[in-house]
Amino acid sequence: MTAELGFAVLAFLLVGFPALRVVTSRDLVRAVLWLAVTLLGTAVLYALLHAPFLAGVQVLTYVGGVVTLMVFGVMVTHKYDGTTVAIDGANRVRAALAALAFFGLVGSAILRTDLSSLTPVETPSTQELAMALLDRYLIAFEVASVLLLAAIISAVVLARRRDPTPEAAQPAETARLQEGSVP
Amino acid sequence: MTLRALLLVATALFSIGIYGLVTRRQAVALLLSIEVMANAANLVFVAFARYGGAPGHPLVLFALAITVAEVAVGLALVLLFYRRHGDTLLEMASEAKG
Amino acid sequence: MSPSVVLALVTLAAPLGAALLSVVIPPLRHRGAPAATLAILGSLLATGAAGILLTQDLAGRAIRATVPWMLVQGRGLGQVGVRLDAVSIPMLAVVCLVALAVQVYSIAYMHQETARSYGRYFAYHALFLFSMNTLVLAPDLLQAFTGWELVGLVSYLLIGFHFDRPSAARAAVKAFWMTKLADMGFLFALLLLFTRTGAFSWDVALRPEVAEATAALIFLAVMGKSAQFPLHVWLPDAMEGPTPVSALLHAATMVAAGVYLVVRADPLFAQAHWVQGGMLWVGTITAVFAALLGLVQDDIKRVLAYSTCSQLGFMVAALGAGSAFAGYFHLGTHAFFKALLFLGAGSVIHAVHSNFMSDMGGLARKMPVTALTFAAGALSLAGVPPFAGFASKDAILTALEGRAGWVPWALLLATAFLTAFYMGRVLVLTFLGKPSAAAAHAHESPAVMTGPLLALAIPTVAGGLLGPWLARGLGEEMHLHLGLTPVLAAVAALGGLALSLVLYSRGGEAPLAGTLAELDRRSIIDRTWAFGYRGLLLPLGGALRWVDRYLVDGLMNGLGFGTLEAGQALRPVQTGRTRDYALAVVVGAVVLLILGTWR
Repeated sequence: MTAELGFAVLAFLLVGFPALRVVTSRDLVRAVLWLAVTLLGTAVLYALLHAPFLAGVQVLTYVGGVVTLMVFGVMVTHKYDGTTVAIDGANRVRAALAALAFFGLVGSAILRTDLSSLTPVETPSTQELAMALLDRYLIAFEVASVLLLAAIISAVVLARRRDPTPEAAQPAETARLQEGSVP
Repeated sequence: MTLRALLLVATALFSIGIYGLVTRRQAVALLLSIEVMANAANLVFVAFARYGGAPGHPLVLFALAITVAEVAVGLALVLLFYRRHGDTLLEMASEAKG
Repeated sequence: MSPSVVLALVTLAAPLGAALLSVVIPPLRHRGAPAATLAILGSLLATGAAGILLTQDLAGRAIRATVPWMLVQGRGLGQVGVRLDAVSIPMLAVVCLVALAVQVYSIAYMHQETARSYGRYFAYHALFLFSMNTLVLAPDLLQAFTGWELVGLVSYLLIGFHFDRPSAARAAVKAFWMTKLADMGFLFALLLLFTRTGAFSWDVALRPEVAEATAALIFLAVMGKSAQFPLHVWLPDAMEGPTPVSALLHAATMVAAGVYLVVRADPLFAQAHWVQGGMLWVGTITAVFAALLGLVQDDIKRVLAYSTCSQLGFMVAALGAGSAFAGYFHLGTHAFFKALLFLGAGSVIHAVHSNFMSDMGGLARKMPVTALTFAAGALSLAGVPPFAGFASKDAILTALEGRAGWVPWALLLATAFLTAFYMGRVLVLTFLGKPSAAAAHAHESPAVMTGPLLALAIPTVAGGLLGPWLARGLGEEMHLHLGLTPVLAAVAALGGLALSLVLYSRGGEAPLAGTLAELDRRSIIDRTWAFGYRGLLLPLGGALRWVDRYLVDGLMNGLGFGTLEAGQALRPVQTGRTRDYALAVVVGAVVLLILGTWR
């Protein structure tokens, strides 16, 4: 029992508290940073669960990649006029209720299930994992690569600027017209 | 660290993500909440990999890849949104109103 | 199918064919003459067939040829077809013959109408003959009701023939409404019969209360159709129709249909003694009342209308006394002499271009044939022996002997006197004395009009001879005896006639004429009905219209409107805000979880 309690405190510190800060921070940059903490905490949990490779991948891709992307996203879409607008809204109570309801339902389902038959097993080593990826899960592996490729391309296509911004075009257009209209 | 405890932690994490999903007004903040939720799901998979086996770590890897792809495209969309409306507040996307 | 049945079907098919052709092929109607030819041809065939049927001796038995009608679960609700017996054949012959005479007469009388009107008129006539024959030949009360309603419709169409005249249109509606009201009795009687016996026959034995109720309901319809007091007020107004129509429908045949119905359904009425008692008094009151009013009319057609009403009262009283024969006999003779009188009146009206006797006078010299035939009709109506009218009236009075303390007998005897009296007045004012300005240029009508007059004069005079034959057919006996009743009847008739001839040719007025005229002018009963119509029926209709417009329509419109409003009210659910949609998704997931785990 105490082991469980101790684990609970640990988990809360590692992932629970940071996650809460992610969803409640008024400052967007802080929220992103708290996400980084959450992800790192998860990596720690993975390590504790005998999944070292995954822990490493988590840090590399999530903390390194995704968080960086988020930071970029925040920077590019931030209004620099100094105003701070309320970052979350009027339906906090309803949201909290929904979240609690969800937790309650799934939690009670978990508690009612008899999980005693499951015992810790040997987790795959990195070598075994690599073999599995290229053997059993080859097709999924390839599909995942294609997916990533598609994601890259679509992100680029979506985000690129097609024409110069209208404000920039206007003066050049009017200047040309003015020149042309004088015979 | 029993399986049960792990699962409850993951559920809690997911619920926190839900709260953020419904509450946040900024698009990027919404994406952050979604990240939290995805993370919770991955945690469940890893826990079960430890306590039962299938489908195990490969699935986590794939989930990771998919999440990353989603984030990339999502941010691109947020960028487009910003260019159109000048800000990323979700109320501005109200074409489905009424 | 026996030859008799074929003949009967001819009486139905010939006029129906004429009517249908006129309706379906408009050029026949629009050109006038073709429709007339068809109609008259139809009546000719029908009359011929009816005449042949008369030669049959069907005393005590009947020929029935029917097919089931309105099949429900393999069984017909009613029967449609023909029933030939000693009751239906004489009436059939009378109807066809009078119709033929009237139609031939109309060729000249309706001459000034436009071709389209002329054609329409004759199409209606053909339809009438078919409808009346349907009623006469009906094998059960359901077909009788059908014929009844059809003749009511044609009556409406013909009273309002000149529909551009407001008074005619009003008269048509009035006739229709009043008879329709009375016809509800017939309808309820049909329902009652069906629920009790599963069929519509009059040949059934019923429990006393049921028989009384059924008979009473049917008599209500009879009161309407045969203009009995107080449902008589439509008949004088019905004179707005062309005179031949008045002759055929509102004297000879249609109004007599009520009497015919009671004769036809005698097995039923014989079981209803209370109703018969009522009929005796209603008939008597009608006879007296109408005769009194007929005395003070200036319009010759109105005199004859009130006279018809009065004579119908005689017939109903006879039926009330239990003698179907007496009522039926008088129906037959009355058909002939009243049609004759109306056609004669039409001849006079045609000559002086006015309905009013104050515009007539001294026409005996200028229109001898008309005058003579009219006089014959008048004598028959007055009940002067040996004319047909005397024989039938005597039969009625004989049947009334001893009933209800001799009171109806006495009253009707007095009415016979009055009848002779007012007819004498008509004769004097119309044919005798000095002609008025309008009458100065009168001349006799063409042969097409005088021909039917002469034809009708024959049964008017000699019809009494057929009495015994008719009686035998009905299972009764007719005695020509020399007793108190016939003598008194003859005296009343001759005395009344003589008195009025003397009084009126001196330019005098009857006693109480002023009071009667005042009574007529006040039209209390008519006003009461008008009040009922305007004060009760129309407001009721208005109320129902309100219910329909605001409640029924309101409900329907409200549903539509409500749906639209509901849709509008639901629009705000789509907020367009992503967060709200996300919340909805989560809530939905929660709900599904609940449903999934609480199984």
